[in-house]
Amino acid sequence: MIDLRRRTGALLLAVVIGHVVVISVQVNTASSVRVFEAVTFGLFSEVQRGVARVVGGATGFWNGYVGLRSVQAENDVLRESVATLRFRLQQERAVAQRVRGLEALLGLRRDIGFATVSARVIAGDATPYFRTVTIDRGTGDGVYRDSAVLSPDGVVGRVVSDPGPRAAKVQLLIDRKAAAGALIERTRAAGVVVGDAGQGVLRMEYVSNLEEVQLGDVVVTSGIDGIYPKGFVIGTVEVVRRGPGLYRTIYVRPQVEFSNLEDVLVIVREPASSTTAAGGE
Amino acid sequence: MKAAWVGLGLGLALALQTTLASMLAGAGAPVDLVLVVVVAVAIAGGPIAGLWAGTVGGLVQDALSGGVIGVGGLAKTLVGYVVGQFGSRFMIARAWQQLLVFFCGSLVHAGCFIGVYSLLFDEGMMTSYGAVLTQATVNAAIGVTLAAGLQAGPGAIERRRLRRRNLSRRFGG
Repeated sequence: MIDLRRRTGALLLAVVIGHVVVISVQVNTASSVRVFEAVTFGLFSEVQRGVARVVGGATGFWNGYVGLRSVQAENDVLRESVATLRFRLQQERAVAQRVRGLEALLGLRRDIGFATVSARVIAGDATPYFRTVTIDRGTGDGVYRDSAVLSPDGVVGRVVSDPGPRAAKVQLLIDRKAAAGALIERTRAAGVVVGDAGQGVLRMEYVSNLEEVQLGDVVVTSGIDGIYPKGFVIGTVEVVRRGPGLYRTIYVRPQVEFSNLEDVLVIVREPASSTTAAGGE
Repeated sequence: MKAAWVGLGLGLALALQTTLASMLAGAGAPVDLVLVVVVAVAIAGGPIAGLWAGTVGGLVQDALSGGVIGVGGLAKTLVGYVVGQFGSRFMIARAWQQLLVFFCGSLVHAGCFIGVYSLLFDEGMMTSYGAVLTQATVNAAIGVTLAAGLQAGPGAIERRRLRRRNLSRRFGG
């Protein structure tokens, strides 16, 4: 019998071949190794939940008791109400746009109501190369694959992979594989916003050189991708120049501060009980 | 080196990577704690220990992240094996030697990781040389600190035990 402990080269070869097989299977079908992924994610999300709770508890204790106790509590309440108001403002803005748009002209009435559930970010990505976070809500709360994730500031990302019962993985909009249908709010020029994690900004693609785009223009979701609701703020145009081909080169500074995400809102299938935000109120 | 300790180290590194590292360093967390543990295990335990630590740590990290499962595993396996082979042939005892090994290990890992993604996808990984160098530097700094702590830990416990024994002999406690 071959002693692999002595034949380190053979062992390395076997393991490398195993990795290559695993990679090639995924790249071909883009759907395998789900069991491994799901089990690992499910198990480790519980560890992450525990660690996040300990860290959150320690931070909360320090902020709430050792620090300025009453001021901190008051600040928390005010911050929460400001976040709620900002979120509602965005919703109202989305509603107003729809009323002003074609739907109003055609006399169509659509219900934009959607239920949301608040979620806490319990972990970041396991590698420094991707931009995903783990939230403490899963299928048990109505979260599903491709659920849009929002914050009071704007669009955060979407749920990727099949969420676990109590946790879900969210791909941030700045991830290099993320994309969303978008509009320049002022001119209604449509395009696609894609992530550019290396720079921490977003690129807006497929906007014609003939379209007028200015620095500071607000970029909002177009709703065309079927994931993000229409009219939510993505960011503002930071760089715009005439592109070499048909399209402009546009960089968008995201409205959401991705580096310190704590609480987010997730659009869910069914209205959740007490935690549901006033998405469709 | 006991597998349980390696598993514990990898688990702790993953937990810290996904919670504290990304929170502290923001969206562009330039540190890979799992890689630091893999390199440390490879230095201490040789190529086989490094290989298995890299395989397990990398695969679990892949499963938790948004990427293709196996890419990180492959990169960390290779780094664990190469560092283990290097460590079994040369003395890596001094801090600057360890710093160099952690730094080069991080560069090799980044090269493998980004290289495989470039082969798989047209757009590749889109990361800058500066980011890779920063990550390698931070990994090396944390690795050397970890190694120093691990070396000092058992010695400190032993010294404390001896001190207590001497005191109890002197005062008859």
